[in-house]
Amino acid sequence: MVTGRSGGLPRWLAVGCAAVLAATWGMGAWAGSAAAGEPIKLGASLSLTGTYASLGQNQHRGYQLCLKQVNEKGGVLGRKVDMVLYDDKSDPATGVRLYEKLITQDKVEVVLGPYSSAITEAVANITEKYKMPMVSPLAATTSIFKKGRKYAFMILAPAENYLEGLLDIGLKRGLKTLAIINEDTLFPKATVQGTLELAKKKGMQVVFVEAYPKGNTDFSAILTKVRAANPDLLAAATYFDDAVAITRQMKELDVNPKIYGLTVGGDLPKFYELLGKNAEYVYGATQWEPDLPYPGAREFTEAHRKEFPGADLSYHTAAGYAGCQLLVEAMRRAGTTDGDKLRDALLKIDTKTMFGPYKVDQDGYQVAKGGVLFQWQDGKKVMVFPEDVAAGKPRFPTPPWNQR
Amino acid sequence: MNVVVTPTMLGQVIISGLLAGALYAVVALGLGLIFGVMRVINVAHGTILMLGAYVTFWWFQLLGINPYLSLLASMPLMFLLGALLQRGLVRRVVGAPELSSLLLTFGISIALVNVAQWQFTSDLRSVEYLTGSFIVGPFAFSKSRTIACAFAVAIAALAAWFLRRTKLGKAIRATSQNSEVALVCGVDVPRVHLYTFGLASALAAAGGSLVAVMVAIQPEMGGVYTFKSFLVIVLGGAGNFAGALLGGLLLGLVEQLSSLFLTTQVSEAVAYVLLVLVLLLRPTGLLGGRAS
Repeated sequence: MVTGRSGGLPRWLAVGCAAVLAATWGMGAWAGSAAAGEPIKLGASLSLTGTYASLGQNQHRGYQLCLKQVNEKGGVLGRKVDMVLYDDKSDPATGVRLYEKLITQDKVEVVLGPYSSAITEAVANITEKYKMPMVSPLAATTSIFKKGRKYAFMILAPAENYLEGLLDIGLKRGLKTLAIINEDTLFPKATVQGTLELAKKKGMQVVFVEAYPKGNTDFSAILTKVRAANPDLLAAATYFDDAVAITRQMKELDVNPKIYGLTVGGDLPKFYELLGKNAEYVYGATQWEPDLPYPGAREFTEAHRKEFPGADLSYHTAAGYAGCQLLVEAMRRAGTTDGDKLRDALLKIDTKTMFGPYKVDQDGYQVAKGGVLFQWQDGKKVMVFPEDVAAGKPRFPTPPWNQR
Repeated sequence: MNVVVTPTMLGQVIISGLLAGALYAVVALGLGLIFGVMRVINVAHGTILMLGAYVTFWWFQLLGINPYLSLLASMPLMFLLGALLQRGLVRRVVGAPELSSLLLTFGISIALVNVAQWQFTSDLRSVEYLTGSFIVGPFAFSKSRTIACAFAVAIAALAAWFLRRTKLGKAIRATSQNSEVALVCGVDVPRVHLYTFGLASALAAAGGSLVAVMVAIQPEMGGVYTFKSFLVIVLGGAGNFAGALLGGLLLGLVEQLSSLFLTTQVSEAVAYVLLVLVLLLRPTGLLGGRAS
């Protein structure tokens, strides 16, 4: 600083300012070292806007409910947990920027994962770089967890097996041909890969496969081709908007497969609200439903209803909640927020949460949780696969649109 | 993997393409007017379309009556918004380099999208009014798309009549051809700018209302329509009414046909390749509007 009479600050003021700055910086550094009682900063980015908004918001509520309950009981390691949350706008590149910011600028001690395989994959590079274990509750693509990463932990049943039940139901009833359409992004593509391999193994003939760009709203051409291929079974690897649009346009173009199933989006209550009767007979893969017999599932559903009356409840909420719970449990077991100790804890946990079984292998890849298939029947989601959790039988075949 | 294309499939896809194209045309018309008359690049065009869609959504939600009647609400409302934006903000960059208008309208777009996110939330909305199709022979005409097309054609015809026959319409066309000469001839050019922006916004709102019955409504839906409107304008020729119509139909057809013969993944890319070709080979657009 310029001091002295010829303009600038008088010397005493300059020295005084420097002293005050030094003192506050010093105090900040001292206070910053996590003293007991200081809240634990937990960072995450979620898709609160953009094409994944419906699902990201559900996941958000899962995180919020978990942390509320944890803090009510006094927090973890004697400290409350504060969530620092940003909106990645359903965009992987934005997510990467945000996690970098969370870790380097906001100095969060622990993180939770974002929504979708695509964003998780992008962001996992950051958390891996800073050796910060990331519980990834909404990523189901195997490749993310089999790249030699050490700090990523999977909660969901893998994408590749999502539609196994759909194929089994079809094969049992003598169906022979399969068509698949998918959004051209990571998770839907992984589902398609897996489903194609399963189809080959089980002897189902694939007659048509095509991808459409993310954000596509007009499916006339692709559905016209599907109709020409005349598959017995149509699978669509979607998110939410496209699932609704495809179902609607199938009716418009009179596309009538005997079985029609979705990977994601079909399970949201909003799906039925928007489509009404046109959602009947649609099958969907789901990771979780409120009436599945897992410990704490009912309490969770009740607590969610009280905390967020009228809000959409889907497996995305439950997965977010369970992921957060697992992170908290890992912190308890490790006794610290240190990255490597948390990692050890997460690798060892073998339990059943309200979401279902959790156990990971050495790569953090989920080995205990499986997918569930439901069908919309009379406005309700009825579990139809696997047999040990099935609550009803599939209504087969799906009648043509003009007969409904 | 592809299927064999039959004439019926081709016909079906051409129909879908034309239906979509008519809608693109009506929305692009507004953008073309603004560019032709004021040389302003309105990046907020799609955002106004989005607001028009929300008007329709709330109309149907709160009143429960035919959402197509909401055109009577969304068009005037957005006309007013457009006029306000023009008088308050856009007016200041008319005559300035195109980059200024680009930046200004981009900022307006961001502001409006955020207001929408704040007020309406990012929850997906939808107007469930018409599902299914009219079946004519082997072809299915999606009800919502066909009616949207019919309205789009009617609105475009109305706009054409307005521009040809009314005094204000002729003033707009005169200003579009040469604003200095128009000024000298006694045209109130600032007023023309005001009405043009309002009219263009009304056309965007009409597009939004029609689209509201077909797609998911959310605050960021406008962007893709802005892009497509630009494509249409470049294809057809800026400031050229018939060009916008032709460009719109062409875009709709190109999208659907490339989706049929190639794959849907690639159909977006094909539209942009077409754009590049037109810019290289015929930069004033297919119907040779004013030199850009």
